[in-house]
Amino acid sequence: MRAALAVEDQLFRAIAVLRVVVLAYAVVGNLVRGVGDFDHPAAGYVLLAVMVGWTGLTTWAYADAVRRGVALLVADLAVALALLVATPVVKSPDFDASVPGFWVMAALLAWAVRFRWVGGLVAGVVLGAVDILLRDAPDGTDVGNLFLLLLGGPVVGYMCGSLQQMATERDLAERAAAAAAERARLARVVHDGVLQVLALVQRRGGELGGQGADLARLAGEQESALRSLIRAQDSVRTDGAEGAVDVAAALGRLGLRPGVDVAVPGGAVELPADVASELLAVVTACLDNVERHVGEGAPAWVLLESFGDRVEVSVRDEGPGIPEGRLAAAESEGRLGVSQSIRGRIEDLGGEARLTSASYGTEWELVVPR
Amino acid sequence: MTDEQIRVMVVDDHPMWRDAVERDLQAAGLDVVAVAADGHQALARFPAARPQVVVLDLQIPGPNGVEVTAAVLKDDPSARVLILSASGEQEDVLEAVKAGATGYLIKSASREELLDAVRRVARGDSVFTPGLAGLVLGEFRRLSDPLAGGSGEASSLHPELTDRETEILKMVAKGLSYKQIAERLVLSHRTVQNHVQNTLRKLQMHNRVELTRYVIEQGLDEDDEDDEG
Repeated sequence: MRAALAVEDQLFRAIAVLRVVVLAYAVVGNLVRGVGDFDHPAAGYVLLAVMVGWTGLTTWAYADAVRRGVALLVADLAVALALLVATPVVKSPDFDASVPGFWVMAALLAWAVRFRWVGGLVAGVVLGAVDILLRDAPDGTDVGNLFLLLLGGPVVGYMCGSLQQMATERDLAERAAAAAAERARLARVVHDGVLQVLALVQRRGGELGGQGADLARLAGEQESALRSLIRAQDSVRTDGAEGAVDVAAALGRLGLRPGVDVAVPGGAVELPADVASELLAVVTACLDNVERHVGEGAPAWVLLESFGDRVEVSVRDEGPGIPEGRLAAAESEGRLGVSQSIRGRIEDLGGEARLTSASYGTEWELVVPR
Repeated sequence: MTDEQIRVMVVDDHPMWRDAVERDLQAAGLDVVAVAADGHQALARFPAARPQVVVLDLQIPGPNGVEVTAAVLKDDPSARVLILSASGEQEDVLEAVKAGATGYLIKSASREELLDAVRRVARGDSVFTPGLAGLVLGEFRRLSDPLAGGSGEASSLHPELTDRETEILKMVAKGLSYKQIAERLVLSHRTVQNHVQNTLRKLQMHNRVELTRYVIEQGLDEDDEDDEG
């Protein structure tokens, strides 16, 4: 709510400036056109003095939200109305310009800012109606002024409401971001401590053997799980670019699989969400294939490289390689092998999948345009 | 050079780790000449201890691991820094390498891996993990590609890898050992090692050039003794 109040404060400061400007215009106008020619010149000077005094008083009064009560706003509007009503008596019944003139605008805007569009409408109707009713024969300009009053009040009121809402939302978002940053900082400290212990358990446990080795294995699994989660957490976006996914983080999570080592560039590598999820699915399929043909927990390496126009992913294992002719055989039997499916899916993304297989292992190289 | 001659300093704020690493190194016959729990201690004890290898945790209080790396190498360019990190915070590791660290190991590595890494770093080799190679490779790609955030200025300002260096670095990132790379490319183990070291040197050189340029641009060159890092 403080943000909304700050917006209101600022708008009232603007109104205060405006009030002085329209006051100067009204006073100078009345003096130039000749207060001396009024039916009651002395009363005319009194009215101008009232405007000057009221301008000073409201500038002070509106400056603090505590004083911006209904009473002050009603009084503000009442003074404006009183000046309008006094005009035919003080000036002459067939007056052209009212004594306060545009000065009444300040009261209208105060209502609009304080009570939003409803306030703007109410003040506009009251001021406009009184102004028209006082005149014997309203001309086109008078009707035009009425129209502007009725239009201006609600519009300013509505915009003030929107501004306050936006400021409030921005305030909330800023506080949420600050809280998230602090949480992330604390989490890093916690994570580092936990990782230290897990790494130590893993190392010492492995040297003890037996049950210690089991503990070491568990600690190792947890360590890599936590590491991947931290990497994923770092990639959670707060700047709201929708539809873009960090494939570096997504592929990094594949490092959770036993035996899998993932290397990525520093920072985020963003791809459209659908491309990223398809690429991730294909890399996962490659790793599944390694597991099936080389063995569970068999070492495999994933490398992501980011170029201006494309990303390249390599998935490598050190298995025995794909036996000569096996792929062709699968194809001739009408089976769509895993490799065909991998190729097809990458080609659907507009990219290219290359397979090299030899006695020292198998490697998929996937190139996807961005 | 035998193990007895390798002088090591261990910097880690976790006492259990510091002790474990120290014990392992001593048990293997290495000479642990100093230990430190934070950056200030490390910088205070380094000049007198004159270690050949600093085994350094990145997440330490005081001047952090990156700053310590830069400072000790400025003090003694012949020293070697081996980063031993638990969290493996990517950006930090890359910064440490740019500052001159020539080895990186994750804390869950086995004792044998640690000893091997310390010996190799002491010999002047660089110890890479595939993950670190991926980071370094990504950094070179970024620097040379204006589309991906590089400065896009004249290429003389960018560190450029030769095709061979890129090829080898890529193979390291794909998990191949130096031995496997040497076999595949029909090179000697030493040649592979040299190529890998050259890539690191280029990155460090670029980092120094960038720092110098930054200092000059910012008009900080008059008091650069205080504004290190």
